[in-house]
Amino acid sequence: MLIDKIVNSIQQVTAELGQAAIWLSVLSAIWGIVALSIGLRRRKPDYLQSGRNAVVATFILISVATGTLIFGFVTDDFSLRYVVEVSSAAQPLLYKITALWGKMSGSLLFWLWVLTFCGAIVVWQNRKAKDTLADYSLIPIVIVELFFIVLVTGLVQGIYNPLERFPNGLVAPDGQGMNPLLQTPSMAFHPPTLYVGWISLTVPFAFAVGSLASGRVSSEWILRSRRWTLFSWIVLTVGITLGGHWAYQELGWGGYWAWDPVENVSFLPWLLVTAFLHSVMIQEKRSMLKIWNILLITLAFQFTILGTYITRSGIIDSVHAFAQSDISWYFLGFILVSTAGVIGLVVYRWQRLKSANRLESLLSRESAFVLNNWLLVGLTLIILWGTLWPIVSEAIQDKKAAVPEAFFNQVVVIPGLLLLFLTGAGPIISWKKITPNNFRRMFLSPIFIGLIAAAVSLPILAFRASTADVSLDDAVVQVSNEVQVAETATTNIFADMWNFLTFGEKSIPVYSLLCIFASVFVLVAIFNEFYRGAKLRAKRQTTNLLKGLWLLILRNKRRYGGYIIHIGIVIVYIGIMGSKGYFQLESKSLQLGDSMTVGAYRFTLLDTYQENHGNYDRLGLIFDVEKDEKHVATMKPARHYYFTTGQGDTDTIESAIHSIGMNDLYIALGDIPPNIRNGGYVNVQIYHNPLIKLVWIGIAAMVIGGLVAIAEKQEYKPRPATA
Amino acid sequence: MKIRRLKVLAASIIILTAMVLLVVSGIRQTSVMHFSPAGLIANAETANDQNIQVDGVISEGSSTWDAANFKLTFAVREREGTETVNVIYEDNLKPDNFNDGGSVFVEGRYDAENNRVVATKVQTKCASKYEGVESDTDMETYE
Repeated sequence: MLIDKIVNSIQQVTAELGQAAIWLSVLSAIWGIVALSIGLRRRKPDYLQSGRNAVVATFILISVATGTLIFGFVTDDFSLRYVVEVSSAAQPLLYKITALWGKMSGSLLFWLWVLTFCGAIVVWQNRKAKDTLADYSLIPIVIVELFFIVLVTGLVQGIYNPLERFPNGLVAPDGQGMNPLLQTPSMAFHPPTLYVGWISLTVPFAFAVGSLASGRVSSEWILRSRRWTLFSWIVLTVGITLGGHWAYQELGWGGYWAWDPVENVSFLPWLLVTAFLHSVMIQEKRSMLKIWNILLITLAFQFTILGTYITRSGIIDSVHAFAQSDISWYFLGFILVSTAGVIGLVVYRWQRLKSANRLESLLSRESAFVLNNWLLVGLTLIILWGTLWPIVSEAIQDKKAAVPEAFFNQVVVIPGLLLLFLTGAGPIISWKKITPNNFRRMFLSPIFIGLIAAAVSLPILAFRASTADVSLDDAVVQVSNEVQVAETATTNIFADMWNFLTFGEKSIPVYSLLCIFASVFVLVAIFNEFYRGAKLRAKRQTTNLLKGLWLLILRNKRRYGGYIIHIGIVIVYIGIMGSKGYFQLESKSLQLGDSMTVGAYRFTLLDTYQENHGNYDRLGLIFDVEKDEKHVATMKPARHYYFTTGQGDTDTIESAIHSIGMNDLYIALGDIPPNIRNGGYVNVQIYHNPLIKLVWIGIAAMVIGGLVAIAEKQEYKPRPATA
Repeated sequence: MKIRRLKVLAASIIILTAMVLLVVSGIRQTSVMHFSPAGLIANAETANDQNIQVDGVISEGSSTWDAANFKLTFAVREREGTETVNVIYEDNLKPDNFNDGGSVFVEGRYDAENNRVVATKVQTKCASKYEGVESDTDMETYE
């Protein structure tokens, strides 16, 4: 037991070491800000170097603090309050480590650690820089670091230091453990992925501020932080998807997105970054939208802070959470002061930020980009408004109201479809002003083929709609009669997204048709782009088309990576249309031997099974799935019953998912009664989710496209003034 | 030059108005009243036969699970009080984390006469939603 003794004596000092590191990091961060400021003002390279070193030192200090906390987790140091709250001795090692971001204090420390890491990388990336833009940009980064350092010191009432011990040498016998629901791989990595996406946005924001402060307001800051922005976008895409995938697999309601406040705040920065990635192209190409870009990245950054605050403070549950601690003032104060700072700088640099060009026509690529930005920012504000509606309504009318999922599904459809259309129109419309020639050459074939696709799919959609688990009457009522909407809104949440309109006796799924038209339009438009480019390349290099395509992408990874992302977007839309608008759901109580039918499939409950898995038991059912009397699959949905129970429940639904082509069969179970073999009933819900796989495939394509685009290294080249 | 700017302005105003209309109509059509159990009982008349949300805790010992009929019944209790509202939830699985005394969120139609909500959605405190502001009370349990 020598090891135990050694571990024990190390435990005596680690937390104190970590705490000391956090306090020292306050000093190093302040020194970083001071030294960089002096160095920049008085042009003293020594000070600049010292400031950069301080940024790296802060990273090292926070690494030490984070390391000591992880050590506390791994060695089950139950004298630490935070360890007790999120871990337990029986927890598997992986989940002991991921418990680091299980609750607020630890996730703030993790956040800070990643942020200081980003700061250190910026120092490293710019070690050979010949100018001071990076030094200017480091200052805002360190200010944000300081904001989080103060939070983890435990100085702000309402958040305690994650390395805090219980007083009087108290040691808890065991930890409370992590909620079993969170003990799955995708949930273990979903929060940190989102965090990394959010945190890395600090860098482009800081470069925007740095460029304002330095007075070099050209597109340089955009290009020098471009990879950070793209990185953040890719990571956010992955992070949001992991959350949706987790919900689909673990929560047993057959869906992947429910417009929960937590989901919404993760989605909002994504929308804003997407807008930003587009609007910067206008600045680079046409020297327009300079102020807009700065405000957009500022807004995106502030949303990451706001998002942490909203998800962590409990304010959605009640406005009164606001007054219960100082955290609200601390967060909102930071957001207000920093936004005011940026606006002040913009005003200060107003003359230099004026646009060199103006919009020349409403039908031009510039306009398409501007419209794209309006729609994305508009969507952001709409979703934010819906998310904050409980707070707003409680604050202004003292009566709390809320909007269900139906609100979001309803309001996003039209802007969403317009955006989809722009995904194809943006890349093919000409700069400055559309010409008849441009229209003929680029638009005619996509529009024509899109229309044909919509016409062909009409009968299929109409048939599918009649068999889908969407009562047509309900959906129609929903469009036409707002009084009864509420009734259908909650029962048929999925219906409203792809509404139907009736003309006499006939029902036409209008939104689905528009979605298919726009999707095919985009695909053809982008195919044309690839085809024309590849053909030209192949001709010039005298090679074949495929090689030409490869050369084309290599030559302009940013542009064609973007197009790949657009293809991914289309695939996701089709997946959402199928899975949200045309799914089938049956709920039934079954005894052994019973059957039920969902769509074309027949499910027979054959048997039960039980397995032991260490800290939980798996109890499940075996279903035989048939189509047209032929065996298709055997599915084994289950429930997990955890022995060591933490703050959460003791059992979780483990849905069985079987994919057939792009469609999923999905079974979720209620409790399995002990008398199941003697006539007991078990509750079963079975979904048929058409095209749902396309959602994941489309997102994968988006990520691949993002990786292609990020591979391009762009140097800043000052353009001639007449650009 | 001026006409062009006017066009841009007009287009912006149209988009903005459309967005605002979208939100206003969306809220008007879907917004539902949100109550605590006591608040719901106090406003029984206005809430009767309306879609509402109610959140509180699962009243201890109130839940029954009728597997043969796929039916969950329970009562939502005021967090710090004794008022309860009955809930009936059919053809849906009992959500994870459904424990006596646990936080619960119910959406459905209120029937004032029987003080009962016919629920379309029952959610326990979502695991991905992190806890509210931490207080020092948990610490005292160890002292």
